[in-house]
Amino acid sequence: MSELKENLKAQIITQLNLEDLTVSDIQDDMLLFGPELGLDSIDALEFIVLLEQQYGIKISNPAEGKEIFTSINTLAAFIERERA
Amino acid sequence: MMELISYCRVLPEGISVNGAKVYAPDSTESWQKDLYTALGLNYPKFHKMDNLSKCAVLGFEAMKQEGAPFADFGDDEIALIFANSASSRDTDERFTESYEKIAHPSPSLFVYTLPNIVMGEMSILNKWYGENVFFIRKTFDAAMFTEQISIYLSKGNKACFCGWIDHTSEGTDCFLFLVRAGAGHLSPEQLNTYYKQYRNE
Repeated sequence: MSELKENLKAQIITQLNLEDLTVSDIQDDMLLFGPELGLDSIDALEFIVLLEQQYGIKISNPAEGKEIFTSINTLAAFIERERA
Repeated sequence: MMELISYCRVLPEGISVNGAKVYAPDSTESWQKDLYTALGLNYPKFHKMDNLSKCAVLGFEAMKQEGAPFADFGDDEIALIFANSASSRDTDERFTESYEKIAHPSPSLFVYTLPNIVMGEMSILNKWYGENVFFIRKTFDAAMFTEQISIYLSKGNKACFCGWIDHTSEGTDCFLFLVRAGAGHLSPEQLNTYYKQYRNE
């Protein structure tokens, strides 16, 4: 799980062009759409693309997105569930 | 009546404001990022922007740091008048490539497939709510700019922030200038002289 989280952080930095950040700047429980990272609705769409592209996972119910993309912890847990 | 207050050129070789070079990048490959650092900017959204918007942000910040009085005007008193020749071709091509090659087109690229987004980014950065207009012209058209500035100033705007910004694989051409209503006169010939002066640097 911890390797998945580290990979997710690196992929998010690349996919979302967060060039001012490094993997160590993103805490596992940090709110992805909170003030620290300042992500917006376009970034949420990028998350959906990232999940499809990197993990082959499609979000069937968009309403779930808010919960799934809360933090690295929730995102990694969702990927693990989908893989099981 | 209008008065040119400040003007700026943004190129891979550096940024000039009011005729003097004020910043130069360490590398021409990562020149926008180098200039972002040199200007001391802390605006993470910059890295997500298209190249037109990056040029505008860099030029605007350099002009501001060199004393351009943007803060003298209210948030709805500055009209934005921008133009270029290649529209959003740079982003259009990258978006098409992402669509064709990886079958997962990037939403963050897609939102920049219109050239006037550059004015949206300037408005978001500054919390400006004024009028804006974007033209496509084959070349820098000084008469078009002075005519539009005259119209927008006559409608009650106190200033116009204008820009000619092209960024393609053939190169970058970014010329920004701030004009305010006043006793002075800015002719198309004078404006063209400023533009050509920079092109010859």
